[in-house]
Amino acid sequence: MSILEVKNLTHTYDGNTPFMHDAVKNVSFSIEKGEVVGIIGHTGSGKSTLVQHLNGLLKASAGDVLLDGVNIWDNPKNIRSIRSRVGLVFQYPEYQLFEDSVYKDIAFGPKNMGLSEDEISARIKEICELVGIKQEYLEKSPFDLSGGEKRRVAIAGVMAMKPEIIIFDEPVAGLDPKGRNDVIKMISDYSKKYGSTVLIISHNMEDMALIADKLLVMNKGELALFDTTENVFKQYEFLKSIGLNVPIVTQVMLILKEMGVNLPDNIFTVDRAVEHLLNISNGGNCDA
Amino acid sequence: MDNIIEVKNVTFEYEDGSQKDIVLNNFSLDIKRGDFTVVLGHNGSGKSTLAKLLNGLYKPTSGQVLVDGISTTDEVTEIEIKRRVGLVFQNPDNQLVASIVEEDVAFGPENLGHSSDLIRQEVDEALKAVDMYEFRNSTPHRLSGGQKQRVAIAGIIAMKPDCIVLDEPTAMLDPKGRAEIISTIKKLNREYGITIVLITHFMEEAVDADRVIVMDNGNIVADSTPKNIFNNIDLLKQVGLDVPQTTELLFRLKQGGMNITTDVISIEESAKKIYNAIHLEEI
Amino acid sequence: MLKDITFGQYFESNSFVHKLDPRSKLLLLILIIVSIFVAQNAFALSVVAIFIILSVFLSKIPIKMYLKNIKAILPIIIFTMIINLFYNASGTILISFWKLTITTGSIYRALYMSARILLLIISSAELTYTTTPNELTDAIEKLLAPLRFVGLKNAVHTLAMMMTIALRFIPTLIEETQKIMNAQKARGADLENGKLIERIKALVPILIPLLISSVRRAYELAEAMECRCYNGGEGRVRMKQLKYSISDYISFVVVLVVMAVVILINIFL
Repeated sequence: MSILEVKNLTHTYDGNTPFMHDAVKNVSFSIEKGEVVGIIGHTGSGKSTLVQHLNGLLKASAGDVLLDGVNIWDNPKNIRSIRSRVGLVFQYPEYQLFEDSVYKDIAFGPKNMGLSEDEISARIKEICELVGIKQEYLEKSPFDLSGGEKRRVAIAGVMAMKPEIIIFDEPVAGLDPKGRNDVIKMISDYSKKYGSTVLIISHNMEDMALIADKLLVMNKGELALFDTTENVFKQYEFLKSIGLNVPIVTQVMLILKEMGVNLPDNIFTVDRAVEHLLNISNGGNCDA
Repeated sequence: MDNIIEVKNVTFEYEDGSQKDIVLNNFSLDIKRGDFTVVLGHNGSGKSTLAKLLNGLYKPTSGQVLVDGISTTDEVTEIEIKRRVGLVFQNPDNQLVASIVEEDVAFGPENLGHSSDLIRQEVDEALKAVDMYEFRNSTPHRLSGGQKQRVAIAGIIAMKPDCIVLDEPTAMLDPKGRAEIISTIKKLNREYGITIVLITHFMEEAVDADRVIVMDNGNIVADSTPKNIFNNIDLLKQVGLDVPQTTELLFRLKQGGMNITTDVISIEESAKKIYNAIHLEEI
Repeated sequence: MLKDITFGQYFESNSFVHKLDPRSKLLLLILIIVSIFVAQNAFALSVVAIFIILSVFLSKIPIKMYLKNIKAILPIIIFTMIINLFYNASGTILISFWKLTITTGSIYRALYMSARILLLIISSAELTYTTTPNELTDAIEKLLAPLRFVGLKNAVHTLAMMMTIALRFIPTLIEETQKIMNAQKARGADLENGKLIERIKALVPILIPLLISSVRRAYELAEAMECRCYNGGEGRVRMKQLKYSISDYISFVVVLVVMAVVILINIFL
């Protein structure tokens, strides 16, 4: 059974509220346990609205969200326990930090779950070790940290709830290369250690090529494609037609192919490209 | 060509409680009139401080910043210097004052005390220069990030500056917004002759610059043409800069023994370069 | 509620009323409100009512917009009617039961009082439908300008600047509050249940980030304003200058005539 199943989810925009949500139209898909799924689509395509339905922050106008086969709204009073099972890390999560120490801030989520102090302390120790937050940082104020460190603490705050599914909305936005690598590493370390399912919204196709098993493409509120990363990136013309693109390295490979260089059409990372091109230039067999 | 801005032996200290932080130490830099200069540096390299020193928002602890030969510490000309050297910030939301686009763009000229007819003209021209004229009666919070940032740029252009300094104007934008801003900046430089200082950590934004300066730890570590700078990828990586994927690819091919240079960024040029390199070796 | 504070209830149109100077509209509304309260009998009030109804037609705002406003305060109107229905005891008794009586006088009173409230609502709504909050801010700044002669030179400008910035940032802050609330809810925060004390405590994780971000915004905005040559309003010229036109003068004359008629009716009837 799929860990997450979305059935005919529709969210119509309610013109009477001051908060704009992009519409989502009749979206259905299912995600298996342990998969890393990238969600792509340009601004306003409904990506953020969609993920806020998965942990019950928004309620669909029509359609269902099933977690382990159970409708998350079966018992509306239990919706808070759903949120600890489906973690959601918003864009620029460092802006939600509020406690006077890193420890207390990370403890906020586990505390809301009603865990004991011992359990909370054990979890924080475990998560911090995993994501590389040093022990001496725990007593510091989160507001004294650098931008990249704040981001990691904010993400650790959601990870400490040990959600089975963890969703990130643009987790690396605004970070420099080092900060970006740190965050990507902590996401993959978490998913490997706990076998949890990961959903990532991103504009960065190059990052997607590196970490996503599957890609979910949103366009104008509708699900345009949902397939393996390889199969999605092979649909270059289609992606372009809805204002998206394939990784830059793939675009270079496509041009080379057109120029007559013998290359396969599934090169999405620099590593693969380098391997193939060096092979060709050394006169070797390009099937390597 | 003469210099519009001269930074002379500037030291800037930042007091954080009892602690003193030296952000810039004996720093010098000239910006030529009409140039499109890009300053590359990672977060905390001192590049934002530099931006704020250029129009007198920050005053140097020691040394001098001269705009058209006038020191930014001169109180009489303080406002005139801010008019001549406009500053655009990272977060478009926090630099818009009014809730109607055209009224926001009018804010600068209004402060300068121009006549209302002239202000109208300046506002219309500025909005047209950034292609936001049709949104003049809109409200900022209904605009996309890229559109908001263009309104912020229009607010500076309306003051008829000689130079615009932009401090990471694309850092908070999506790819579409980022492209909009970069093409607007190039247009202002080429068509309007405005001197541009673009501060960023995205290397690809420097591709069409006249000059690229790389900063690290409050120092200039490189200062040359984009071509020369891009041929020195080791240095850019060392100082923690964002390197576009095309550059990464060329760099790795070069490391792998291919006879290739890393001085192009566009996808087409990179492909051509690789093609030539492969075929040269075959012959 | 706060659907879009930038435009408030503004309803775009090109009517005579829309084109009036916002200062005129504000002053005229005050004069009309005074007239409503001055009118002491049904005749005087109907003169004001006729004027207001005519101006409503001139505003070209759909009647259903006004009805929406009236619906919102309907409970108050009904409450006023009921109170007045049993309170006044002049005239002939029509119905009498238990300790309550309804007389011709009380019916008259009930209708008169609710008509007053209705007229107040309609005329104020007309101002907000035909004038943007920005125009109102400008009007208030200009109307209060004489205060500078009594030593409040900067106060008027500061007040107007504060209103402008508030209008600009309220939507941003509402959106931000919503985002922070969602982020904390995603971390399991319970904002809906619990006792009063618990609910107040639950606000801390929302208020602190909001406060921190507002301070940061204020700081950045101040720097941006300085970069745009802001100098505390000294020597500032507005792009949109308010100008009285012939329509404004005509409107003032008409409203003053209405007031005069109301006073005359008060005296002679």
